[in-house]
Amino acid sequence: MIAKTFLKETKELLRDGRVRIAVAIVFLLLGAATWISARQYKNVNEQYVAAKKAERSIWDNQGEKNPHSAAHYGTYAFKPKYPLSLLDQGVDKYAGTSIFLEAHKRNEAQFSAATDQTGLARFGDLTPDFVLLFIIPLLIILLGYNSFTKEREMGTLTLLKSQGFSSWKWMLGKWMALFLPILLMATALFLVAGVVLSNLKDFGVFNWGSLFAMYLVFVVYYGIFINIVLLISARTKKSGISLVVSLCVWIIACLGAPKAASNIAESKHPYPTRQEFAANVLKDKKEGLDGHNPWSKEAKLLEQEVLLEYGVDSLHQLPFNFDAYRMQKGEEHEAEVYFKHYNYLKDQYSNQSKVYKSLAAISPYLPTRFLSMSIAHTDYSTHWDFADAAEEYRIATQKFLNGNFAENSEYGNWGYRAEAGFWKNLPAFDYNPPELNSTLARNSSNLWLMGIWLITSFGLLFLSTKTI
Amino acid sequence: MIITNNLSKRYGDQTALENLNLNIKEGDIYCLLGANGAGKTTTINLLLGFIEPSSGSAFINQLSVHENLKATKRFLAYIPENLMLYPSLSAMENLEYFSGIAGKKLSSQQLKDFLEEAGLQSEAFQKRISNFSKGMRQKVGIAIALAKDAKVLLLDEPTSGLDPKASNEFGLLLQKLRTKGVATLMATHDLFRAKEVATHIGIMKDGQLKQQFVTKDLSLQQLEEAYLNTMKYKELAS
Repeated sequence: MIAKTFLKETKELLRDGRVRIAVAIVFLLLGAATWISARQYKNVNEQYVAAKKAERSIWDNQGEKNPHSAAHYGTYAFKPKYPLSLLDQGVDKYAGTSIFLEAHKRNEAQFSAATDQTGLARFGDLTPDFVLLFIIPLLIILLGYNSFTKEREMGTLTLLKSQGFSSWKWMLGKWMALFLPILLMATALFLVAGVVLSNLKDFGVFNWGSLFAMYLVFVVYYGIFINIVLLISARTKKSGISLVVSLCVWIIACLGAPKAASNIAESKHPYPTRQEFAANVLKDKKEGLDGHNPWSKEAKLLEQEVLLEYGVDSLHQLPFNFDAYRMQKGEEHEAEVYFKHYNYLKDQYSNQSKVYKSLAAISPYLPTRFLSMSIAHTDYSTHWDFADAAEEYRIATQKFLNGNFAENSEYGNWGYRAEAGFWKNLPAFDYNPPELNSTLARNSSNLWLMGIWLITSFGLLFLSTKTI
Repeated sequence: MIITNNLSKRYGDQTALENLNLNIKEGDIYCLLGANGAGKTTTINLLLGFIEPSSGSAFINQLSVHENLKATKRFLAYIPENLMLYPSLSAMENLEYFSGIAGKKLSSQQLKDFLEEAGLQSEAFQKRISNFSKGMRQKVGIAIALAKDAKVLLLDEPTSGLDPKASNEFGLLLQKLRTKGVATLMATHDLFRAKEVATHIGIMKDGQLKQQFVTKDLSLQQLEEAYLNTMKYKELAS
């Protein structure tokens, strides 16, 4: 009976002109979005490779220079565009693509794609994640809103009941008939994306496992939507009502809940303004050692400690350049200050994420979106991870430069210049995003939420068809 | 095949059916006559198990309907006043689906044979139901009953809205089923058709079975008089 109902429903769907048009439009949108994103991905990564190479070349060819001057001259950490951003661009557009690494200061990522666009960008972009997250659920509504109501309206339900049908098998047949076209659509998209990405060999960080994980996340998301739409259809008497209720659920789940979550999260756990943040950092910085100021209380204290440690009377008697040593100590203090303040930002972000998760009870969109972005490495967590890696690299670079300065010059010798070949000894910045396993582990609560949504919605659908 | 013992259905203070006693045997065609609201459809719905009786019991093929809901469905076929099928599917596809729901797996040839037996023209077998007249849909309904090999046929105003030719063809089909031993209960307003096809006739009013006849014992005129007298009683009383 499951197979018979599945075949019957599939035939009905295939013969319905509206359905054919809707599916064709979704395929067209998906095709266009994938093509646009693939081009964008290729362009951005070509720019990334070129910029990384050019910046490294500038660094390597600085010539003879004082290491601390080189530290102020700085360099860049570039964030690559990850392959699965082809499918889910997440917050990449707003998060910035490069971080300027310099002495004494932790900078934020800059040159986000959004800043390169005009105000018209507010209309949004046609991206695969837009189609996957918003349009396909709409298609599910269009295909399934009258799945049960039509049986009542046409009168076929009475005949079915008189034939002694099994309501749960009947429901399962309908469920499968709605699930299969959506599954085929999603499979086609992910396969095309996989083939495109695996052929872009220059950016060889693509992995089929992550693509498959993302595919499964969306398949579960669609399963949940199918359950909800069929549940509404089973509980309502008229197709019109079923359509309106389904659309309301879509509006709440896909549009309302994320925006409400954003507002609630921001009002409950606000980020400090840029000015407040800068002022707080400056205040804390002033309370510690400033590597450039040898006359400060902290600098004098450091002097005393070092002289005592080495058992000498003068800084000139030290086996290293105390100016560079102080500079490094100043860097360490500043790094701690930044660490503290950025950790506060991270805590706020984490608290905001909890608000989002609490609203996942009314929207399967939220855990899906978080998982999808996370697997694609386009979420804020990955961005934080990248920014932290860049900061670690900045601290290591300062240590590398100050170390050279301290070991190769004497106290007061600001005229020291490192030799031209020295810069090449600095290892290149290399950031690897978290592996799939750790991404999934980090998102275990989202996985749980999706599981609960899937099981609960299917259970309710099962129970409601029992009473048809 | 169909037995009801003091079968009653009440909705609050309203009595839809009161102490109905029927005994319809194999090969009987029992027509229930009565005005709207007389309790004909309620009787059929009770026999189908769509509603629970307030008191009394109903049996199909010796099985209590409300204790063996699923099992009794195996023996019966139902054709409502407006038989609705899936409009985008053909007659063959509809028959295949509804038979499948009843657990029958039929070959393409068997499906065709049932449609043919039901009197549907072969050109219509592959046509979509959306193009079918009511009479043609009723024939597909009969084919569904034939395919199910139903022992009991429940018909709710099946000839309402059919033209005389289609109505006559429908009557002939019922006779054919009768020869196969099918017990039929048909609710109708159509006295002429009832006299034509039925072996027994019952007249219902206000949820009660007022009179019962063996069809061959009375003429159409007598039936008409009996019917009108039963109906008039209400008007006089009011």
